[in-house]
Amino acid sequence: MDIINEFRNVLNDPYAYAGEWKKKNGKKVVGFFCSYAPEELVLAADCLPVRLFGTRDNIVHADAHLQSYSCSLIRGALEEALTGRLDFLDGAVFPHTCDSIQRLSDIWRMNMKFSFHWDVVMPVKLNTESAREYMRDVLHDFRDELSSGLGVEISDEKIQEAIALYNRIRSLLKKIYEIRSKFPSVISGSDMHAILRGSMIMDRHELPGRLEKIVEHLEAESANAEDSSAMRLMFTGGICDFPDIFTVIEESGGVVAWDDLCTGSRYFEGSISNAGDPVSAIAERYTSRVICPAKHASVTSRGENITELAKEHDIAGVIFLYLKFCDPHSWDYPYMKEYLDRAGVPSMLLEVEDRLPSEGQLRTRFETFIQTL
Amino acid sequence: MICAGIDIGSISTKAVILNGSDIKGKLVISTGYNASQAGDRVYDELLDTIGMRRSDVDSVVSTGYGRNAVTFADRAMTEIICHGTGAHFLKPDVRSIIDIGGQDSKAMVLDPEGRVREFVMNDKCAAGTGRFLEVMARALESDLDSFGDLSLKSDNPSSISSICTVFAESEVISLISKGESREDIIAGIHESVASRVAALAKRIGVSEPVMMTGGVAINIGVVRALERALGLTITVLPEYAQVNGAIGAALIASRL
Amino acid sequence: MAEETKQKDPGAEERKIKSVKRMKEIMTGYYIDAKTARKNNNKVAWITSGGPVEPLIAMDIIPVYPENYGAMIGASKMGVELCEKAEEMGYSRELCSYARGDVASAIVNGGPIGGLPEPDLLVCCNNICGTVLKWYEIQARYFNVPLFIFDTPISHTNFSDSARKYVRSQIDEYFEVLESVTGEKFNYDKMGEVGKLSVETQRLWQAILDTTMHRPAPMSAFDAFFHLALIVTLRGTQTCIDYYRELLEEMNQRIASGISAVPEEKYRLLWDNLPIWYKTRWLSDKFASHDTCLVADTYTSAWSGSVDMLKEEDFIESMVDGYSRIWLNIGTDIMAEGILKMIDKYDVDGVVMHSNRSCKPYSLGQYDLQKIIMKERNLPTLFIEADMCDERNFSESQVETRIDAFMEIVKEKKASVK
Repeated sequence: MDIINEFRNVLNDPYAYAGEWKKKNGKKVVGFFCSYAPEELVLAADCLPVRLFGTRDNIVHADAHLQSYSCSLIRGALEEALTGRLDFLDGAVFPHTCDSIQRLSDIWRMNMKFSFHWDVVMPVKLNTESAREYMRDVLHDFRDELSSGLGVEISDEKIQEAIALYNRIRSLLKKIYEIRSKFPSVISGSDMHAILRGSMIMDRHELPGRLEKIVEHLEAESANAEDSSAMRLMFTGGICDFPDIFTVIEESGGVVAWDDLCTGSRYFEGSISNAGDPVSAIAERYTSRVICPAKHASVTSRGENITELAKEHDIAGVIFLYLKFCDPHSWDYPYMKEYLDRAGVPSMLLEVEDRLPSEGQLRTRFETFIQTL
Repeated sequence: MICAGIDIGSISTKAVILNGSDIKGKLVISTGYNASQAGDRVYDELLDTIGMRRSDVDSVVSTGYGRNAVTFADRAMTEIICHGTGAHFLKPDVRSIIDIGGQDSKAMVLDPEGRVREFVMNDKCAAGTGRFLEVMARALESDLDSFGDLSLKSDNPSSISSICTVFAESEVISLISKGESREDIIAGIHESVASRVAALAKRIGVSEPVMMTGGVAINIGVVRALERALGLTITVLPEYAQVNGAIGAALIASRL
Repeated sequence: MAEETKQKDPGAEERKIKSVKRMKEIMTGYYIDAKTARKNNNKVAWITSGGPVEPLIAMDIIPVYPENYGAMIGASKMGVELCEKAEEMGYSRELCSYARGDVASAIVNGGPIGGLPEPDLLVCCNNICGTVLKWYEIQARYFNVPLFIFDTPISHTNFSDSARKYVRSQIDEYFEVLESVTGEKFNYDKMGEVGKLSVETQRLWQAILDTTMHRPAPMSAFDAFFHLALIVTLRGTQTCIDYYRELLEEMNQRIASGISAVPEEKYRLLWDNLPIWYKTRWLSDKFASHDTCLVADTYTSAWSGSVDMLKEEDFIESMVDGYSRIWLNIGTDIMAEGILKMIDKYDVDGVVMHSNRSCKPYSLGQYDLQKIIMKERNLPTLFIEADMCDERNFSESQVETRIDAFMEIVKEKKASVK
């Protein structure tokens, strides 16, 4: 599909895209690493929020600042910054998530000289009234800091517009996911990945139009869709920056029918109310949406969630996918696996470093897993 | 004053004898499995070559991983100080030293008086050490000594991404079967070593003049790759690179 | 023989710290009380090392510190076995060894006292790290008891008013939880007393740590690691105050009589990060063989680091800053300022950094700290790569070479400065 190629092209060289956008629009680009980043406010300030990942190059410079026992997201992100490849950025926003990102924020701030640096220290606990209130306060503070730092006024109207836009984008992404879950044969995993990842980079005003075209196309395709005999799998974990993984899974007889990933369903899940104070409405979404392991909603919420998703999407097997040295995901693994075991859903674990294991190794693992289902 | 320095490494053992500040003799032998015997052997063989006896030597300092096994040494010093001392002697304006040995790699920064100010070591991982190159030479069925020249013929080094020596070896084997040229693969191996060592060195900040010491310094391919990785020029004195630690040890012996 | 001959230290007996005996008695009594709590109708709460313990004491709940037990597990060299058990349970080897050890210990009743007493309540304060959240979630599921999370937002560059308000509300929530667990009204009177005792304890601890400003130091950081246990576990009690008064008295006497931690103190160093619990003796002896004393460290001083923020007459309010703005809950550059202050205060010749695999908030950023220390004070830093509790990550001969090399540098530098 041509329109998906647009997403692929952006993904091939996101920095070039961002640089050109800057030149064309004369506005600022703000980087972020995490789905808790309040993109809506960044957009309301007329900036382009661009999600950053690790590096495709070898990590050399970052080793002078970070020990090897830290994850490839923070080491890679720092590498990109130190080599100058991120010079097009005007700044970055660091919502509080895990210990590693916390220290990346400090090291980044101490060593890089971007125009802006925003720490948004959100609550870790999300299940009390005081935490809800603090989340609202933190976002109000962030709006003020954005405003004074960039020298722009961020009116309630602008925020409401941004909210409406993000609601639209997220519901379209969700729609695409739902079509894929019902009719896995109409879209490949790597195309899915490109759409999601591209949506974290591209001009958000242009996104709904593009996503609508994709939905139209997929709905048309699904009318004549063949039944897929592929094993229905689900990813659960952190970030996935590995488009090739989907191809290997598909060639091994599987299909990723849904996911519980930071760069997947957790990115678009939950819409924002358009009633009341807009900043508080945004806060409500970040407080009540499905959590990542660095946050706390209850002691069993992630286990319950994964079990429900497996049932809802008729999942045959779950793949835990996270980075080596990612503490929060690693801690949740045993108990989430236990929940799945009890529900009779088999699972496997894939811990990844900078890059995926070699294709041969990956294929062996997936084929074996799929054959046991 | 006659002084001796004995450097017992994991792979090779070196000895140097100084008369004042003249290098009277130097020798490199294989360490084998007995460090103490290697120390005796290298010492006695070198003395024999230059027509001296143990009693002619005023003091001896030992260094290297086997330094405490040298029974006849007056003092044991770590190779960090010895490399710094040796390099400063050979090139008094040197400010940074990079030493890639058989089993470790290190970087040192000197002050203007030639004293070591900071050091950083990789003593946990074979990647970025001489061992890595040996493993690769076996995988390529090549002579390690030819690595340097062969790599200079490449203008498109292969990319080797594995962090671990053992997996890098598998990677190299698959590159061979994919038909990449020997020269390109070796150049890629050198890039791999250089990037690990450069990353280590950057932790303490290297500045020119830089000298490379240790056995791997004789490999011109690694030197050039390291120059590119650091963006700096590196001096190598091929005649003394491998015995630099022993030179430093002998100098320290002369100050005891 | 080229090896430095180890001389028998003639004053070894005199050099031993006498208060140690009393300390061991107190800690034994403390753990016995904790383990027999149920029999005596007392409640037990597990709490993180940086957590606000005073309210527990005010409500007569016995506080138990899994992290202190982690240190004991490390020191008794039982860390590896327990970590391996945790790995069998599916926990990655890259995770914090205190947490791994405790999760396993709860299942097998492991460690030197055969497991910790079961908690009635879990109190988790994340001012030290995010791992404690996950650790305590696991134990909450395992023991099926209430979990109270005291969420203290980090101050990268400053502590915001919004955060202050949030932390203050949580103190009230904490009191409510204690009321519901004990069935009693929160005892504000006793809280006032406990607060005063807590502040006094912290002042005493700081005074003890300050004695090492003296040349030669009457005790070393390795001694401080040992004596730390009381301010961690019994802060806010008279027992703790009485003991630290005794210890301070002994330190002052040692200064007066010229008894030093290291027989011939020629070089002084600062330690950063948690101790390597299973190697404290070895490290102490190793540095002593170089006439070197680790005179101070950033870890033990964290327990009195808030003393200027805490107010006896308004303890509850001052707990907000006192528990939020602790050493690990601040930006790396603010830590750097703290380290430079300590370097000057204790007049050290170098810094030893334990690059501790288990503790990311403490270890990530150390490379930048090393650069700052060199730039601002022209002092060398030694890195020891290890782990606080999991001995598999420690390579003795490699560490020995590094220590020797570092001391050679320190000595040469000192000798050249007239």
